[in-house]
Amino acid sequence: MTSFLQALIDATSAGAVYALAALGIGLVFGVLRLANFAYGEIITASAYTLIIVWPINPVLAVLGAAVVGVAVALLMNYAVFSWLRSQSAATLLIASFGLSILLQRIYEGIFGANVLSASVASGLSTSVNLGGVRLNLLSVVTIVLAAVLLVGVQLFLTRTSIGLQVQAASADFRIARLLGVRSGLVIAVTFAISGFIAAAVAFVLTVQSGTVGPSFGVQPTLFGLIGAVIGGLRNLRGAVVGGFVVGVALSLLTSWLPPEINPFRTAFVYLLVIAVLVLRPNGLFSAGAGKVRT
Amino acid sequence: MMRRDRKAQGLVPVPEWVGDAWTIAAPLGLLYLVTAVASGVSSSARVDLGYMLVNLVIVVGLSIFVSNSGVLSFGHLAFVAIGAWTMSLLTIPVNMKDSIMPELLPVLRDASLPPLVAVLVAAVVGGVVALLAGAALMRLHGLEAGIATFALLMLVVQVLTYSTALGPRSGQSMVGIPQSLDLQSMLVIALLMVVVAWFYSRSRSARLLRASRDDITAAPASGIHVTKHRIIAFAISGAVAAVGGALWAQTNRVVQASQFNLDFTFTTIAMLVIGGMFSLWGAVVGVIVVSVLNHVLGLLESGLQLGGVIVSLPSGSRLIIVGLVLIVVLILRPGGLTGGREARWPLRPKLALGLSRNS
Repeated sequence: MTSFLQALIDATSAGAVYALAALGIGLVFGVLRLANFAYGEIITASAYTLIIVWPINPVLAVLGAAVVGVAVALLMNYAVFSWLRSQSAATLLIASFGLSILLQRIYEGIFGANVLSASVASGLSTSVNLGGVRLNLLSVVTIVLAAVLLVGVQLFLTRTSIGLQVQAASADFRIARLLGVRSGLVIAVTFAISGFIAAAVAFVLTVQSGTVGPSFGVQPTLFGLIGAVIGGLRNLRGAVVGGFVVGVALSLLTSWLPPEINPFRTAFVYLLVIAVLVLRPNGLFSAGAGKVRT
Repeated sequence: MMRRDRKAQGLVPVPEWVGDAWTIAAPLGLLYLVTAVASGVSSSARVDLGYMLVNLVIVVGLSIFVSNSGVLSFGHLAFVAIGAWTMSLLTIPVNMKDSIMPELLPVLRDASLPPLVAVLVAAVVGGVVALLAGAALMRLHGLEAGIATFALLMLVVQVLTYSTALGPRSGQSMVGIPQSLDLQSMLVIALLMVVVAWFYSRSRSARLLRASRDDITAAPASGIHVTKHRIIAFAISGAVAAVGGALWAQTNRVVQASQFNLDFTFTTIAMLVIGGMFSLWGAVVGVIVVSVLNHVLGLLESGLQLGGVIVSLPSGSRLIIVGLVLIVVLILRPGGLTGGREARWPLRPKLALGLSRNS
């Protein structure tokens, strides 16, 4: 029973990380129809900041990671994606794929192909014993952080003028523009928020691993993106839940699969993804009936 | 009908079939020319030439599906991996297989075929897997199709990485693949695959599929069974990609599941997109342009003497520059270098073209 609880908490925290990644990706997708594959390189940039600056000054490292995340996201927007706004979703995805590979090589050129390590917030890696249940402090912090960010984004989208404009642009970009939504500003704000969320993901992942390499952000982005797609990219809540489900599934499969087939856990997740897409082509949580899009 | 109109106007100086034949003669001729020139340049050019021919087969395979269906696939390396695996398992000597893959299935352990037959078997295996996968996935559109095909690639890579019944233990690679096809025979196979793609693109099925690519609402309404034609295209393109994988195995001669990664996927997609992803001509031009660029950048990375000055680029700049080229092409010329058109007979008068479009 207690081991079940522990596995459940670990799974929730893994799910929370991918839910955050899916949130960051889904927000931008909503306004721009861009499934940003290069989101991982925003995470990586923040992670490098954390690992390099943390030994000097932890507060500066956290602030720096947030600033770098937002700055890289905005840079991506202005340097690449603002030129491609009128293109199809497929073209945007290919461009972001190219950008992702390009940035990975640039990181490799700057920081080397090997991983850099530093123990970030090592205090969080300890566990506390709560009535027989071993609670990993980081898992708890991850869950709380994700909850705070989710609520924050929700409040921003529903309670602020610019948030409402983001929602309007997600619903129908052209009409929103006609109604006076400042599209450039809305896109920039969305990118900035997604960059901030990427920094939060980087924080959790660097505390977990203590290392960063050029392709650090690929894995969480991949699973976040996959989660967002199976949850339904056109619906932010669906995307977040999708990311969460993928994280939970990965974590539970890791702890429950018998050792002889455990190496195949990722294969199972991908099989699950294909099954979901085949059965529910528009995502698990999409309300609308099958609308054809190409 | 079009032909009669133009004839009546007396504006076509060459028969239509010349223009048609040119759409296959141009890619074949260009490929032959590049191979002939590159094989005479240097030994390092010949090595890169081998990889160019391999990539050409892979990208032509990819384009059979993408250019006709308009659906993006991020997963064709799955069939490349399957082709490479088939080729390796069928051509590595049995005693060598015993030492690197002790837990291999007995059937695979004892199987041994001549290289050209092994390439054919690879095509069949790749085609069958693509047919089955396509039957499941081809109802999907756009982004969902992209993610689903990518999931297929990851699934295949994971299985090939960890299954000791099908290959070496994870982290180890298959070695001892004999290099049995020289550049000449690789060129012949590559030309043959271009011909396959061309004949397919002129088939009824491909024309119907392109109708669905151009208008996904009107095509089914006109009675076109889009899913069926997508599955056909997917199976053929999987078979051709698997041939590319077989050639890759005997060119690279060290095969490991982790090689079928994002960088490789990116390279093939970049080639297709830079050339123009909606035509066979685009696929061929893209592969040649990126390969030549890669070769030159490779020379620069190892330091090239240019008039007394040694120019050198840091290693790893190849992918950065290819990535930059891809993004610039997408911004300035979203249809790719060829604009998504097939090769056009160069001597065609501009006037006739303009009028025939209006008629």
